[in-house]
Amino acid sequence: MNTNTKRKKRVDQLVRGLFMAATLLSASFIIVIVIFIIIKGITPFITDNDGLGAVNIWKFITGTVWLKGTAFQSNLYGVGYIILNTLYVAFLALLLSLPIGVLTALFIAKIAPKKLAEFLRTIVELLASIPSIVYGLFGSGVILTFVYNLADLFGVQSKGGNSVLATVLVLALMTLPTITAVSEVAIRSVRKDIEEGSLALGATRTQTNFKVVLASAKSGIFAAAILGIGRSLGEATAVSLVAGNAQSGPNFGIFDITSTLTSTMLKGLKETTGIDYDIRFSVGIILMVVILLTNFILNAVKKRVGNVNVK
Amino acid sequence: MKKVLLMLLAITSVGLLAACGGNSEEGFDATKSITVYTRDTSSGTRAGFMGGIGFDDAAENDNLLADGFVTSDNTGILTAMTTDEYGIGYISLASLNNTVKGLNFDGVEPTVQNVVNNTYGLKRPFNYVLRAPGDYDSPEAEAISNAFVAFLQTTDGADIIMDQGAVALESTDTWDDIKADYEICAEDNSGIVIRFGGSDSIQKIAEALSAAFSPKCGDFVAEHDHTGSSDGFKRTQGSEKDGDNAKHIGFASRPFKDSEAGVDGTQGQLAWDAIVAIVHLDNELDSVSAEDLKKIYSGEYATWEDLLSE
Repeated sequence: MNTNTKRKKRVDQLVRGLFMAATLLSASFIIVIVIFIIIKGITPFITDNDGLGAVNIWKFITGTVWLKGTAFQSNLYGVGYIILNTLYVAFLALLLSLPIGVLTALFIAKIAPKKLAEFLRTIVELLASIPSIVYGLFGSGVILTFVYNLADLFGVQSKGGNSVLATVLVLALMTLPTITAVSEVAIRSVRKDIEEGSLALGATRTQTNFKVVLASAKSGIFAAAILGIGRSLGEATAVSLVAGNAQSGPNFGIFDITSTLTSTMLKGLKETTGIDYDIRFSVGIILMVVILLTNFILNAVKKRVGNVNVK
Repeated sequence: MKKVLLMLLAITSVGLLAACGGNSEEGFDATKSITVYTRDTSSGTRAGFMGGIGFDDAAENDNLLADGFVTSDNTGILTAMTTDEYGIGYISLASLNNTVKGLNFDGVEPTVQNVVNNTYGLKRPFNYVLRAPGDYDSPEAEAISNAFVAFLQTTDGADIIMDQGAVALESTDTWDDIKADYEICAEDNSGIVIRFGGSDSIQKIAEALSAAFSPKCGDFVAEHDHTGSSDGFKRTQGSEKDGDNAKHIGFASRPFKDSEAGVDGTQGQLAWDAIVAIVHLDNELDSVSAEDLKKIYSGEYATWEDLLSE
């Protein structure tokens, strides 16, 4: 072996070590964060909280009132209704944004003229990069008024528009660009020969788009839905501006105020201490579990749905 | 199928248009329920408001409030009142503007003048307390603490207090007018630490004041550790005055209790924290009493009729 090859080998090893270190660093951050949240989050359940007594886990998970009694003097926290609320608004938002997002994606990928498609794609990317606080401000400035007047039209007196509906609308708006972008990629990557086969058999463009293209892309579209749900479940700022932060529940009426795990964590976070602060980390653990479970279940469903399976 | 879709589309668009148009021409309907808006339990404004209307128990307890109340922040409540004709909320006086109606409290208009002349009742005092004279770790610390309190009463101090949303007391002198009386401020105090503590509601104001005052007084180091009003007196002249958490200057966002009477001249007020109950501009209500507000927030008054017919 000459010295040149040796040197090259050494450089190779060095670079590999460098990459390894970077990977370890980023991976360890995740572990540190998770450990930190778990340690903070289980504190209320295992310590006596300065004489208040440990929080009962079962009552915490099934509770229908956020806090019974006076703050800092009570350990009767409950998030059961908030878990239901969170899932409820996230799935309602998906129900609204998925059809619109997929149809938009279909239009951009298959129907629109090239120039228009380019333009629309840029707009969708722009929308996806708008920070959530901006959606929240739009929500509290425009959507709340809209929902308030809409409720009035139906003869319902809503609480200033703060409601399930307002939350769902804001979340649907926020997840729409993600869903559109991901489904568009899925639709574009459908193999040309499947599409042409359908057309050659005499199917119209519309029949082909709906029955062949969408059906072939359904795995990718499902992935878009999973991403959308993830964003809905984890969104805090925008939601807390329009949800009304209900103290008890569950709240299923579309004009009722609601609260989500994230909005509950955020409420008063900057000003509180002690158990009232630590318990927000417990809510964080619940949120992580909810997101993990949801993703797990949806991914299992996605596998069963399968990929190309044109009927 | 197509016809049904078209019908649906037509109905929704009409609905949307109508919803956007609003219905302000119908006027105020007193038979509607009152929607109660509040800050969350960790808010100092909430503590001040509930204390001011004689409903102290509700300051940190959500279960005592009327059913279905909305929890929001200062701005959230303010913007809600521009939409919700049947809502009621409270904000700090500094945030009040003409997009909502600020209610008179016991017949007195919520203005800065009425707060300063002590006729407007929905407010709480921001007080300070010093250590007893001679009971400091160094004469320099004592001199700086006294200079700081003098600074609070100047127009420079008042500007900072107003900036932070509280109402300063009347002042005429600027710091430049009186700084000759405080020789310590001409020296280099960068090695001296002044410890502030007490009410956490006053923390932001105290930090802004010390940040502004330090360069004017030899760059002393300010340490803030705000843990609650009762620690204000306790850690300057009370049971913890010689402990690890001892402070040079303490604050309380309420009047000092009889048990907290300190040495003459060591306690005083720096500002008022004024809170105002607000409703929608179309609301017929103009004035409320503490009793009314308590009945609204406890849910005893469910509709506006209940209140207006009294």
